Amino acid sequence: MSPRGSRGPLPPLLLVWALAACAARASEITFELPDNAKQCFYEEIAQGTKCTLEFQVITGGHYDVDCRLEDPDGIVLYKEMKKQYDSFTFTASRNGTYKFCFSNEFSTFTHKTVYFDFQVGEDPPLFPSENRVTALTQMESACVSIHEALKSVIDYQTHFRLREAQGRSRAEDLNTRVAYWSIGEAIILLVVSVGQVFLLKSFFSDKRTTTTRVGS
Amino acid sequence: LALYFHIGEREEKCIIEDIPSDTLVVGNYKVQRWNIHQHDFLESAPGLGMFVTVTSPTGEVLLSKLYGPQGTFSFTSYLSGEHIICFQSNSTRFAVTAGSKLRIHLDIRVGEHFLDESAIQAKDKVNEVNVRLEHLIEQIHHVTREQDYEREREEKFRKTSEENNSNILWWAIVQTLILISVGIWQIKSLRDFFISKKLV
Repeated sequence: MSPRGSRGPLPPLLLVWALAACAARASEITFELPDNAKQCFYEEIAQGTKCTLEFQVITGGHYDVDCRLEDPDGIVLYKEMKKQYDSFTFTASRNGTYKFCFSNEFSTFTHKTVYFDFQVGEDPPLFPSENRVTALTQMESACVSIHEALKSVIDYQTHFRLREAQGRSRAEDLNTRVAYWSIGEAIILLVVSVGQVFLLKSFFSDKRTTTTRVGS
Repeated sequence: LALYFHIGEREEKCIIEDIPSDTLVVGNYKVQRWNIHQHDFLESAPGLGMFVTVTSPTGEVLLSKLYGPQGTFSFTSYLSGEHIICFQSNSTRFAVTAGSKLRIHLDIRVGEHFLDESAIQAKDKVNEVNVRLEHLIEQIHHVTREQDYEREREEKFRKTSEENNSNILWWAIVQTLILISVGIWQIKSLRDFFISKKLV
């Protein structure tokens, strides 16, 4: 890579992951939501910011949860009951603290593991076009494409990881259930059959005083 | 530090991070206590601290330290798996006082390597490009590690499913055998019984 002495300083190559200090933020958290519990998260958002909330239930019960997103005035922007996975994009209509809650209150004894990803603001462009004299050079446009491609790699990776975790959780549940049910059924079978025989035998037991003669 | 949530004073809140081995996790947090008189969360409460405990997938404790009301913690995972990061305040007050709760601001970054900004500002622009490219290579290594870990997990998943499959078949066969043998025993036993009772 030769230095571009004659064309002025090389513009800063903000490569992937160099998250600029401004608006773009993303928080992703995986947490356990006990039964009959509700967990709320709050975030301060400036007006006009485009935000995305995405959540998925990874383990527990029927793999569903209630989700609710409210703006600072208490107006419900998004409300879904018993959803396994969803993604919701909105633009903040006013400044303030937005609140989103996950509720497992409909469940009596299963606790759930929930993953959510709350993205605030768009990523700033890699090469801001304010002080530019020329269009993007080839190297810079290559960087931009790498950045975009890697962003979608991360996205796919996360989705795949969550789906695999969910599938694995179901398989392990199934395994335990099959084992318990089979053992239980075998025991019931034995107990009932042996009980039947002894019960029948007891009907014909010799009680001398009350025997009735069968047949003519 | 924008995202926050509330917990009770003595409550412990945990989050789960399923990460591959050799991954650096950095967390920033800030904790505030609810002040009943001002009906607001105090900007900083003296003496308020936070116990941060990180448990590895095998149950071994990787990190267990008391930090102040605001702090940064980090750890590197040795094993792949579910690491559990728990927060609990060191408040000794009993949570009987009404409305007593804590607000925790949290920001957790997994697998990010930080650019050495001073190296970026170097006069030599070639060096700057070098540094950024090395950073990029590190990040791609992290993607590769995640994928390897994903492969391991998928294999475990496949094994569980296949085990499931053979378990179901095995149990069905065993139960049919039990059913048949118990049926035969029943009939034999009753027949012998009736013969001995001279009813047949």
